[in-house]
Amino acid sequence: MAEEKKKKAGELRIGFILLLLSCVLFLIAPDKVTASLSVNFALALKILALSVVAVIISVAVNFLVPPDFAEKHLSGGKTKHLVYATILGLLTPGPVYAIYPIVFALKKKGVENGILVSYITGQTIMGPARVPLEIGVMGLRFFLYRLLLSLLMGPLAGLLYMLISRKFPDP
Amino acid sequence: MKPRHGEVLSYFFKNLARTMFLVGAGTLFALSLSAFMTQEMMEGLKRNISMPLQVAYATMIGFISPEPRYIIYPILAKLREFGVSAGVLIALISGHVLIEPSGFFIEAGFFGWRFPMKRLIVSFILTFAAGVLTNIFFRGL
Repeated sequence: MAEEKKKKAGELRIGFILLLLSCVLFLIAPDKVTASLSVNFALALKILALSVVAVIISVAVNFLVPPDFAEKHLSGGKTKHLVYATILGLLTPGPVYAIYPIVFALKKKGVENGILVSYITGQTIMGPARVPLEIGVMGLRFFLYRLLLSLLMGPLAGLLYMLISRKFPDP
Repeated sequence: MKPRHGEVLSYFFKNLARTMFLVGAGTLFALSLSAFMTQEMMEGLKRNISMPLQVAYATMIGFISPEPRYIIYPILAKLREFGVSAGVLIALISGHVLIEPSGFFIEAGFFGWRFPMKRLIVSFILTFAAGVLTNIFFRGL
């Protein structure tokens, strides 16, 4: 509960800092900033509308996917688990802070660090909630290309981590 | 156990309020910042910095950029408008989401320093490679 409050306060702080920085930029060059805002008003509206869709998706995933789903599918140290971990990461919604408790629980269950790296990489590189934003702002081709890249980068990140760990093992 | 409608709705509205505030503030900042980016500036950067270095810089800028993750989209849209290459955009977005400055310290707290250090190296190698390969094979993305 206290952690949740701390997280909310942190998010509020970030939001206010961004607003403050925007005010500073406005004070530096009011004409330029006003022009940029009016030219990009449609883009801003589009991003806000897409954010509503993003929230709907993240809420759906949050209530439909059971909390122990990741744990069930990642136990074991085989290479195929790097792919599973990436796919599970891609499907896990929320900010990166939200997955640290899951990652820590997986670590406690004996899941290898390389697999955890694939999971974190998959989760951070493309969350389900950002899909409508990415398609809406950057286009379907860009999104599909990024999805393909994510599916490759996740397992490779885990594999590379394991290779580096041979030379520099985890304590 | 099936969640109650009230529980889902309350979760939805709380998330919506939080997201709209953060995305709104992030978009406002990104668009204010983009007022300072001009076509000439971008052309100058593209002329004076070699392509692999552009990708490397984009990766590092991505790494040090703070949350929220949504903030990157209006910036990406503007950069694309200015003709910045797809590889640089891929490196910027991947770098931004893969490593989060505050997350680095959280990981160090949970797993020790070696874990985030090695993840940083792995993320840099992969993001850089993804950016360079995109510029070679998928320029018109």
